[in-house]
Amino acid sequence: MRKATKKLAVTMAAALMVSTVSLTGCGGADSNGGGSSAGGSSAGSASSSSVASSGSSEQKAEDPVQNLIKATTETVKLNVWVSEQDQEFAQGLIDSFKAKYPDVTFDITLGAKSEADAKDGVLADVEAAPDVYSFADDQILELVNGGALQEIANTYTYDVKGENLPGSVEAATINGKLYAYPRTADNGYFMYYDKSIFSESDVESLDQMIAVAKEKKKKIGMMVSNAWYLYSFFKGAGLNVDLNEDGVTNSCTWNQAGGTDVAQAIIDLGKSGVFVDVKEDADIPAGVKDGTFAAVVSGVWNADALEKTMKENYAATKLPTFTCGGEQKQMSSFAGFKMMGVNPYSKFVGWAMIFSEFYTNADNQIAAFEAKGIGPANIEAANSEEVKKTPAIAALAKQAAYAVPQRVGANYWDPANTLGKTLISGNPKGTDLQKLLDNAVEGMTAPVK
Amino acid sequence: MNKKEKQGIFRGFVNYFKELGTAITKGDVYVKLSMIFMGAGYTGHKQLIKGLLATLVEIAFIVMCVVYAAPNLAKFGTLGTVEFKQELDPLTLQTTVNDYDNSFTILLHSMIALFLIFCFILFWIANIKTVYRLQLRHQNQDIPGNHINTFGEDVKDMLGKKFHITMLALPTLGVILMNIIPILVLVAIAFTNYDQNHMPPNQLFTWVGFSNFGNLFANSITVSFSYAFRKILGWTLLWAVLATVTTFIGGILLAMLINKETTKVKKLWRTLFVVSIAVPQFVTLLLVRYFFADDGIVNAICNNIGFTGFLKDIGLVGKSLNYIPFLSEEHWTKFMIIVINIWVGVPYQMLIATGVLMNIPVDQVESARLDGATKFQVFTKIMMPYILFIQGPALITDFVKNINNFNVIYLLTNNSYVTPDQAMANAHGKEVDLLVTWLFRLTNEYSNYKMASVIGIIVFIICAVFTILSFTRMIGGGREEDYQ
Repeated sequence: MRKATKKLAVTMAAALMVSTVSLTGCGGADSNGGGSSAGGSSAGSASSSSVASSGSSEQKAEDPVQNLIKATTETVKLNVWVSEQDQEFAQGLIDSFKAKYPDVTFDITLGAKSEADAKDGVLADVEAAPDVYSFADDQILELVNGGALQEIANTYTYDVKGENLPGSVEAATINGKLYAYPRTADNGYFMYYDKSIFSESDVESLDQMIAVAKEKKKKIGMMVSNAWYLYSFFKGAGLNVDLNEDGVTNSCTWNQAGGTDVAQAIIDLGKSGVFVDVKEDADIPAGVKDGTFAAVVSGVWNADALEKTMKENYAATKLPTFTCGGEQKQMSSFAGFKMMGVNPYSKFVGWAMIFSEFYTNADNQIAAFEAKGIGPANIEAANSEEVKKTPAIAALAKQAAYAVPQRVGANYWDPANTLGKTLISGNPKGTDLQKLLDNAVEGMTAPVK
Repeated sequence: MNKKEKQGIFRGFVNYFKELGTAITKGDVYVKLSMIFMGAGYTGHKQLIKGLLATLVEIAFIVMCVVYAAPNLAKFGTLGTVEFKQELDPLTLQTTVNDYDNSFTILLHSMIALFLIFCFILFWIANIKTVYRLQLRHQNQDIPGNHINTFGEDVKDMLGKKFHITMLALPTLGVILMNIIPILVLVAIAFTNYDQNHMPPNQLFTWVGFSNFGNLFANSITVSFSYAFRKILGWTLLWAVLATVTTFIGGILLAMLINKETTKVKKLWRTLFVVSIAVPQFVTLLLVRYFFADDGIVNAICNNIGFTGFLKDIGLVGKSLNYIPFLSEEHWTKFMIIVINIWVGVPYQMLIATGVLMNIPVDQVESARLDGATKFQVFTKIMMPYILFIQGPALITDFVKNINNFNVIYLLTNNSYVTPDQAMANAHGKEVDLLVTWLFRLTNEYSNYKMASVIGIIVFIICAVFTILSFTRMIGGGREEDYQ
């Protein structure tokens, strides 16, 4: 049954295409290559030319958006997933989107799904998944492998590659193909600290921070037994975990020269007694509130809570340096972004793409910052004075120089969690450090069968 | 299952086909006709409506075969060959999608089709036998009791004498739809390579034979899969035994305590414990998890009264820790899980035990007392055997339920417990995982459906074996007479 209707839809779409192409075919032939015609590579520059025309009354046959509007006769049904917190904001955008294209009847429904595990919901049944969904960039690999992201070969209302931060575009690009529309650049981690305890020079190095914390009987919290955070030490020392070309398995250099130094450095941090492993994210605001932590490594999702508890002492900056093999190394981090993705199984891929562009354009990213304090990925929005004044987002920008987009396969996480736990708890079994790293790397690089 | 029963099943199987053979060889023209036209037999014996119904079923089956079964079963051998391909025309923003195969839907629909075909064959056989029976009745028309029913009479029978068949039809249909077909699909997936590299509809998956089962016992799927499997299986069984026994005994003791003549306001106590059932389990468990976190309230109290220091001195808590690792160290976590489970599970057992205790034959207990039995002897010799006999089946159900007790383990340890064992981590397992929680994370977080199916089958076999063994041991053997 399902197949039959699908076939019908395909033939109908094909028929529509033939008719629209033939209609536009004769009018076209613009000498400068047609604003946004085919050709994936020229997408960035080609697209911007169509920005103006979509709003204006002048209708060019080459304008894909106008073509789409003309070709759309039935009601456009889109199902959109954004996080619980963004529902109200998203509803506002949906209304203004409908107003922007008054000639088309939309039926846009909004669903609530956290960006953190959007992939679980989407990959469970891609054919039934929403047309447009917001997700955190750490899931982009699995989503692309599962065929749940439409490749964005061209853009139609604004230049996605050119207008967003290069890091965010890199994170949305797999094997040279763009797969998502960056929406925020605030999903990475950095350090919050208490201004009354640490001075601005203290927070430059972890050693200095530990000395101060010992003196003032405070602690520094970081989720070291969590692979996502553990990465910052090894990458900081120049060791890598990378995704292989198959897009699933990893290669890892943590057990090579310098690896044991990093391992020893984490053990030493743990032995200091003031640098402690935080088990769960919820423990971070709780620990700051009860006065245990004077500094924590976390992300913007805790900004509100921490600002409320620390009040005038609230401050944030990049991660500090740590001592590794006698040298100071700057801690790295995973850069995190939230993005909008389009489901290729959508019946209205075209409209889903236009909607995603609308949702992530400069104006709406600024609106999102104003409404929800979301750190924008749009260059212009990110550089606005307002955004820069926000301590957490400014700290993220500072950390951005040392941050890397997350490109690791699924087998990284569990082995690295355990490695982190073993190291921060001081290697209780006394395993040879090299052996410890070898075992962890074996797990991280294991083939997926 | 005893020998007699086994023979019975075998004989029944043989008889089933023997009857079919007799029907076909000795049947008249109507029986033979009904092998092809299913309504023919009934029509011949003037059961027109039944004949029509049988013909309709046959037509529906043929239509099903052509429209539904054939296209799916044709691809069943390969599970599809055409990958999804979609193109977006950048000028018109319209997409073209090819007529792609979805391995999973092919598998699912093929299973349903095979199941329907199987049902039809059963129906076909039953039909032939019924027509043969009609023929016999027709031949012996003059002997009483060989009346051939009209349709109205049949309907009356179904609502009267044979009402049990009518009543059972709906539940049976439910079981088939909700249980049997999903189980068949699950079993089938265990023989495919359905995982994150082969995710339908974007990619195809196909049959791989028994290699997944081989992987379970060889260290090849991840570097230490079989190691993790053995450890997790061991803990699953230990947990199921401990969880069942502790809550069972706890429930009985609590019920006896409340039932004691000297206990006042019995109803209040009972209500208090039942209230804890009323709170959803996951709420309780999540709260408990925060209580016992490394920097949770219980640890704060233990620290203040010096209990943590005491445990450190006697070596139960590592020297480097300044908290009790209730839910973050292997042995502590296992201990805590069982203790918390007692707390969550005892009220249920108490309710059941209360009911059983109220029905203990008082005369037996009193005569034992008169004979000079101590309270302990009464408990072990009269009460316990009685309770065990009554609650035996419930205990087995509990045991099987505990093997699959997802809530307690997952809610208490997910995201907070990190395994210190690298080999375990490399297989995405934890020491405190049950097979079912491991299975959940393999499917949910790693999309490893094929291995999850294999584990699912193993869990099913374990549960089935234990259920059959304990049922025959505890209830079989005519032990019912012991309590007459």
